[in-house]
Amino acid sequence: MLENNSRWAKKMETERPGFFHELARTQHPDVLWIGCADSRVPSNSIVGLLPGEVFTHRNIANVVSHTDLSALSVLQYAVDVLKVKHIVVCGHYGCGGVLAAMTHNSYGLIDNWLRRIKDIYDHNREKIEALPEGKPREDFLIELNVAESISAIVNTTIVQKAWARGQPLDVHGWCYRLEDGRVRDLGLCISDTKEIHDIYKVFKQRDRPHDH
Amino acid sequence: MAHPTPPEIDRLLSRNREWQRSVVSRNKDFFSTSNQSQKPTYLWIGCADSRVPVNEIFGGIPPGEIFVHRNIANIVHATDLSLLSVLTYAVEHLKVPHIIVAGHYNCGGVKAGMGSSSVDMLDNWLRPVKVLQSIHARDLEGIESTEDRFRILCELNTLASANNIAYTNVVQKAWASGQNLTIRAWVYDLATGLIRDLDF
Repeated sequence: MLENNSRWAKKMETERPGFFHELARTQHPDVLWIGCADSRVPSNSIVGLLPGEVFTHRNIANVVSHTDLSALSVLQYAVDVLKVKHIVVCGHYGCGGVLAAMTHNSYGLIDNWLRRIKDIYDHNREKIEALPEGKPREDFLIELNVAESISAIVNTTIVQKAWARGQPLDVHGWCYRLEDGRVRDLGLCISDTKEIHDIYKVFKQRDRPHDH
Repeated sequence: MAHPTPPEIDRLLSRNREWQRSVVSRNKDFFSTSNQSQKPTYLWIGCADSRVPVNEIFGGIPPGEIFVHRNIANIVHATDLSLLSVLTYAVEHLKVPHIIVAGHYNCGGVKAGMGSSSVDMLDNWLRPVKVLQSIHARDLEGIESTEDRFRILCELNTLASANNIAYTNVVQKAWASGQNLTIRAWVYDLATGLIRDLDF
């Protein structure tokens, strides 16, 4: 690995002199990528991005939950400090985490992490079980998991405060296909408080809707 | 919720198509065969920083080799379920033989931890950096250059994370059972593109 790195660094400097020096100063990525830790889904490669272009958080099954300070810290840094313009939540078909959540097996500590996916299954049970067993249900749950992570992101005060101060910020949902390397845009995109459920909206005191 | 796709996002999707075509042109069966299950050799625990794209900095390692967890400043908190889940899955299920804890110089998270201004909830996340600064205060004070102090703190932070990985029960149990598992602490230099092995 170290030899490969040395060769790569020399090649980059030859092809683009000053590249590293410029990059070392500061980062200005436009995109925050929230993806799965899965080795088959390397974020930079699959969308052909150079160093400096995408800020990345990767965990088991690209889950975002409100009590996970790891994801929230990344979100805060990306939105408040780096001021990224787009957040992409990228799941992938064949996700081991989602598939594990669909079983009745216990995996130890990771059961607690996967619980959230079981909750998503539970809330969408009728729609999921209306589909044929096997891949159709798995794929659908993988997509619902992406939608739930988007929902968690837009319901944070971090994102709502950004919108309130007029910061341009979209949140997108994608799914990557292992079998052919193609990214599928799920057509989920939220860019405004109006598009989220009322209970999650953050109001300033004077803006509260009137009580009856 | 239908929006026209912004050009920056469209660009990513079209780059994905180009990348996919280039992979298939080199190996037409790549996706249909090697992507069926994963058997990565490395678990990478690194920073979310956009300037450290894991696969690229090794000259383009193909998908399937590196299982990756990235957070702010590659910090390993003992009670972080996100990291522990990745670690457990990598060590117990995927039986990854090598863990690489990878920091980098010029880390914004370490810099924020060194400073005295508050960054809201990030303050809690970055606490370990402040603790390191305090433990090594005397040594750090002896270093005149702020830049050098920053570099050293990036290294100390990476070493602390590698240590914390070693102390988890996941890793301890793996070693006790004779599982083949190593931990390395590396620091990536953004200014040169080179990795420095901290000989953990």
